Amino acid sequence: MALPKGVTDFLNDSARSAGAEQPQSGDDLFRSGVLDSFALVDFVTVLEEQCDIKVPDSDVNPANFQTIETIERYVESRKG
Amino acid sequence: MTAFITGTGMSVPEGVVTNEEIAERLGLSAEQIFKSSGIRRRRWAAPGTTTSSLGAAALRFALEDAGISAADVDYLLFGTMTPDRFIPGSASAVQKQSGLGEIPCLDIRATCCNALYGLQLARALVESGAAKNVVVCLAEIQSAWLDLSAASGTISMLFGDGAAALVVSSEKREGALEIIDILLGTDGAYVDDLGIRCPGTEFGTARSHSSEEHSGDYGARMVGQSVILQAARKITAASQKVLERNSLTPDTVRWMVPHQANANLLAQVARSLRFPAEGLVSVLEDFGNTSSASMGIALDTLRRSGRIQTGDYLLLPAFGSGFTWGAGLCRA
Repeated sequence: MALPKGVTDFLNDSARSAGAEQPQSGDDLFRSGVLDSFALVDFVTVLEEQCDIKVPDSDVNPANFQTIETIERYVESRKG
Repeated sequence: MTAFITGTGMSVPEGVVTNEEIAERLGLSAEQIFKSSGIRRRRWAAPGTTTSSLGAAALRFALEDAGISAADVDYLLFGTMTPDRFIPGSASAVQKQSGLGEIPCLDIRATCCNALYGLQLARALVESGAAKNVVVCLAEIQSAWLDLSAASGTISMLFGDGAAALVVSSEKREGALEIIDILLGTDGAYVDDLGIRCPGTEFGTARSHSSEEHSGDYGARMVGQSVILQAARKITAASQKVLERNSLTPDTVRWMVPHQANANLLAQVARSLRFPAEGLVSVLEDFGNTSSASMGIALDTLRRSGRIQTGDYLLLPAFGSGFTWGAGLCRA
């Protein structure tokens, strides 16, 4: 599944702020500087709103949000 | 019966330690420390200073502010992570140094949430009629535990020494803050993400698990990413919940007086709650993270600034090792 525009907009804005390239689906979002611990907190809030899912606190760790692919898989698992 | 915070006090050591003085040893630059924490300087106590003596000094100021004497105190709650001794708790030492009567004195070990736990217990004691004047004393001397090497730079840069005390009473007086509600929570799944392992029964003592061979277990451990992620979520949720159950919204709160963990984390929480930055009380720049004492130091600083108006709501959120977290709500 493709992520909603509001989610990709967040990642693209974050990449611009960090001076990083626009992230592609397999890029490591943390290594490229698109996300860090603080940005991840905001990102999860956007993801919950845009994808209409609830992310439990125990799932808020970088492994679930490492790349756009892992984020898509995670959202699918929450919707399923 | 209602419980009020009727007096506050604080005490910090004289020794000011700037980022510039420690940056090189920590493998960081002074500006890096400031940018990642909001801290420019902290106070570190002279060797030999005890945590109880710092707490007793803050307690004296709080009693003076509340207009009561040591003889009027009928319960002492003492919060610290850095006690004078392993046994007994340091509340006994504070009692002796402060000239309190032969009253119940209890140590609490809820780390950076000690102020909230102390206020919740003090409120219960006052509202039940078990006590009239409870002192919640909070103190830390963390500098003695810090590893000042590059390996621990991002932990050691944060912490300062300091103490605060809050008098909780049944009788309201001018400038008092009514304690309306306190919400607390814990998730022990994160017990290893923030804290100090030894000495203890799980990993051992100096006899069974030497500090030479296991030095990492005797120093502060922090999984920074886990702390930030969980703190940001838990503090925000606790704040929302305590406001909701009192039919309030963040825009009705005038002051947020949080545990002073890290300026970036506090800004994140304020942003998540859509809370205006001008109401966020921070003393991080001058005192760093004083753990148990930090919320009390921030509250005392705000009260003495004279900026609190009658009717103002104050939100008191905190997060600490355990993990434990919570939020308190007061009204001026």
